[in-house]
Amino acid sequence: MSADGMDDYEEEEFGFSRNYFLAKELGGSRKKSANKLSDIDVVDEQELRAAAAEIEGKHEKEIKRLLAEYRSSYSYWLFELRCGFGLLMYGFGSKKALLEDFASAALLEYSVVVINGYLQTVNLKQVVITLAELLWEQLKAKRKTASGNLNKVQQPFSSRTMDDLLAFLNGTHADEKDDFICVLIHNIDGPGLRDSETQQYLARIASCTHIRVVASIDHINAPLLWDKKMVHTQFNWCWYHVPTYSPYKVEGIFFPMVLAHGGAAQATKTAALVLQSLTPNAQSVFKVLAEHQLAHPDEEGMPVNDLYTVCRERFLVSSQVTLNSHLTEFKDHELIKTRRDSDGRDCLHVPLTADALEKLINDINL
Amino acid sequence: MAEAPDDEFSPETFSGTFESNIQPFFVLHKALARKVEKKAPAASAGKARRKIDLSPAKLRHCEGIEGGCGDGENERCMERLRMEAFDSVWSKIESTIQDVLKKFNVNLFDDIFQWVCESFEAINVCQTSRHVKANRSYPIITDAASKKISIGLVLTKNLDFVDDLLTFRDLGVHLKSHGCHVANLSSLDFSAKAGIGGCLKIMLRQFLMISSDAADISVLAAWYSEQGLSKPMVIIIDDMERCCGSVLADFILTLSEWVLKLPIVLVVGVSTTIDSARKLLPSNVLQYFSPSKFMLGSPAEKMDAIVEAVLVKQCSGFNIDYKVAAFMRSYFLRQDGTLTSFIRALKIACVQHFSRQLISKGLSTLFLVEDTLGMPFDMRSPLPEAMLKNKVVERTGEKFSHALAESTRRKNYWSSVLLCLHEAGKSDNIQLLDLFCEALDPEFHKFVASDKNTNLERELGAKMSSDYCVYPQSFKKNGFIRQAVNSVRDLHETQLSQILENWERHTADLDEINEKVKELRSIISDEGKGSLQESINASRRITSRSNLNMGKETANEKAASLIKSLVREYMRPFEELHCFENADNLQSALIGDPRRQIQVDLLDVQKILKCNCCSKKGTILLPTMHDTSILYTLAQEHGDLINLHDWYHSFKTIINPVVNEKNKKKKSGTPKKRKARDEEPASISEATIQARFCRAVTELQITGLLRMPSKRRPDYLQRVAFGL
Repeated sequence: MSADGMDDYEEEEFGFSRNYFLAKELGGSRKKSANKLSDIDVVDEQELRAAAAEIEGKHEKEIKRLLAEYRSSYSYWLFELRCGFGLLMYGFGSKKALLEDFASAALLEYSVVVINGYLQTVNLKQVVITLAELLWEQLKAKRKTASGNLNKVQQPFSSRTMDDLLAFLNGTHADEKDDFICVLIHNIDGPGLRDSETQQYLARIASCTHIRVVASIDHINAPLLWDKKMVHTQFNWCWYHVPTYSPYKVEGIFFPMVLAHGGAAQATKTAALVLQSLTPNAQSVFKVLAEHQLAHPDEEGMPVNDLYTVCRERFLVSSQVTLNSHLTEFKDHELIKTRRDSDGRDCLHVPLTADALEKLINDINL
Repeated sequence: MAEAPDDEFSPETFSGTFESNIQPFFVLHKALARKVEKKAPAASAGKARRKIDLSPAKLRHCEGIEGGCGDGENERCMERLRMEAFDSVWSKIESTIQDVLKKFNVNLFDDIFQWVCESFEAINVCQTSRHVKANRSYPIITDAASKKISIGLVLTKNLDFVDDLLTFRDLGVHLKSHGCHVANLSSLDFSAKAGIGGCLKIMLRQFLMISSDAADISVLAAWYSEQGLSKPMVIIIDDMERCCGSVLADFILTLSEWVLKLPIVLVVGVSTTIDSARKLLPSNVLQYFSPSKFMLGSPAEKMDAIVEAVLVKQCSGFNIDYKVAAFMRSYFLRQDGTLTSFIRALKIACVQHFSRQLISKGLSTLFLVEDTLGMPFDMRSPLPEAMLKNKVVERTGEKFSHALAESTRRKNYWSSVLLCLHEAGKSDNIQLLDLFCEALDPEFHKFVASDKNTNLERELGAKMSSDYCVYPQSFKKNGFIRQAVNSVRDLHETQLSQILENWERHTADLDEINEKVKELRSIISDEGKGSLQESINASRRITSRSNLNMGKETANEKAASLIKSLVREYMRPFEELHCFENADNLQSALIGDPRRQIQVDLLDVQKILKCNCCSKKGTILLPTMHDTSILYTLAQEHGDLINLHDWYHSFKTIINPVVNEKNKKKKSGTPKKRKARDEEPASISEATIQARFCRAVTELQITGLLRMPSKRRPDYLQRVAFGL
């Protein structure tokens, strides 16, 4: 790899491995494209979202056939669950529907609790309380007359500690090993469950005698969440490669759209809106700043004193106080930022790329 | 048979609850009451009955079901049989493994118990001498000597602590059964986050059997005095090096303050070296240490013991073929290296065997194995025809059991010879698993079969060089069996006689071999005596030594030719009637490879979807293909950074080729392509294209194959995976 664009610190961060792989893959150097995202004429975000909701599926027939094929494995899956294993489904495509269909078709004899790991937060304590209540109900129904440790519930599950609840789920309440609650975890590697503490709890839940876990992962690095203890003794995974190619409809809800968010176009639009609400003088001050930035792309920004001088010359401001009030306004709307240059002077700059800035100036017709 | 009803897949079943679930969790459904009633009687019987109950009545019931009732009932019946077969086999394997481990650790456990008792005594002596002080509510101890806390450092010789979790649990059980109060703490309990309070709480919970919110050690003291002060208290920590050092230090300091009132003894697992405690803990803690050292058996020995008990000897009737054995070996050596995972692999193999292979084969062989092994079985004949459709089994019971008896006999010989080989190879650190795999290898079988006749003559004049002919090229360098045979030659006299003794033990039930071994032993011992006699008589040392060497050489040589002939005679291939063969299935269940597979899913969609629209054109991207797949394939053309703009435009060109028709015509004007293009609606709105692009990017982001643009570099996405 030739050294193009080595100025970023990120470059250093991934430099070694990337260089290695690219040298292998691309063989030679390659010019980095300079095209900008702002060149794409991005439609309005609302329109984009509306269009996204109406995307037609491709290969629906084939996907349906694929899912039907997996149906023939349900009995194996059930068998493995009953033998004490957990099922871990991976492969491209949303597996939400597949897992729920499995539960509805093959796990009718067991209570099933679904956890949506793709959501931002999941309260595991609540889940465990629900599991304990379900198990309690199940055991109670099973032996109304039987004596034993079931009779005494000292306190409601909701006020017990996690350890107590897990101990209850891990108890030997029934003679039959086949008496379990199935926990279906969509995206066990999802944002709501990804931290290590949660994974430890999930592992402890999975290792309980009365719990079996069926989970799905989508991230290529998901196995890094677990150590050997969790994999071999707690989750006890049986892996299944079940690509579905179904769209990640629900799973993708919380992801920002790449063309709609954070892009220069969006930033320009926001900035333009803010500027239009300001006085013409303020707009002119901003323009001075922007022009300076475009003319001196390598500098840290425009020193405040220089800005004052230029603005005074153009009769845009009469005093430092007026300028400061404009600047405060800009700062509040995040139109400008301050940083120090090598001489220690405070410099102002607009946190937009050159293209976006140019576009912005054109847009507001200054 | 095992397949679920293959009805048309109804979309309703999939879309039923699809959109509604934005809640973090919910109960999908509760267990059907039907199950509870139905299963209850089976449950009571299930536990007690370890053997498969194929009583004629039951079978007739199943037959009747098959004849008259629906498939569902039949399926259910089959399922139950499968499960019972699995339970029966696996419980045998499991208990065998447990026995092996118990036997393996028993001496160490006894030693530890002994040491615990001694430490307890020592504390008691100390305590009585300071009786007055100890009676205070808070024992104030001033001199460091009486704050000493006994710590048993158990060297696990194994960096993978998974295997030792079980050992420490067993140790806990062992000590409990000998009357100690035991708390098993894990290294996770000593986390910086939970702090000293966390581990004290867990300790209290384990000793007191109730949970308390207060992490107050005086509660424990009160409890202990209620218990009568007569038993030692042991705290077991599985892996010291994984604990947070400062928390562990606090914990030990606290315990040492209380040691007179609470005679606590610590047993701590150490996976590296004995001085790791010095690195982990500050010196003010170390001064209270009164350490002792214990050694666990090495993982390799444990592995050998388990392979011997489970795979080589027939403990359950469950066998694996060469491919599976080779896979499990490489999985153990390269992938994971823990015994736990090896046992897990075996269990998955067992599960797959009983859930996927024809029920007839599994069940029939199982019961016949039991039969021939001389265990009672209530279903000798007639065979349950309804269940056992396999042709092999349809022979008469007598014939079959005869064949099976023969097979079992041969397997016994085979196993014994293998164990003898292992005894021989022990001096060279040859693992049993390696020998086992090699002995199962069809190549090796081929060799043994072809070699048998041609080499007998050569064998008569066997010298050191001859065994180079015995083994074909492939076994020359890496062959463990050959190595094991060879190592017999280099053994010292005492080692040799030890090995012969072991051989005799291994072949005790097999008269043919046993005779030969005994014969050899007597010859060797005679020779040994003879040469000894000679050496005494001889006037010159040189002579006697050469005589001794001569004697040794011949004895070793004889032993080597014996084992060689045994290998040739008894390690012939034999048809395993009943063994698990599907290594691929096992591998896919055991090793998920999402990083690779997800990329393959995206790059090779057609192989999985098998659609007609995209499959014809091989590598060329077509608009009909899955959006994300198109996008990811396009991403392959970029380097580490993907220019969003370029990427978007190439995506747009693919999915909406009408726009760029003019440009495209020059490049690829194949009729197929044009046709595909014609099928596509003439214009896709810009918004739709952008939305499809966005969704595809999001999907790639969900799979983790992409990093989103950073503030610093808003026009570029970063690729994460390079190559499969």
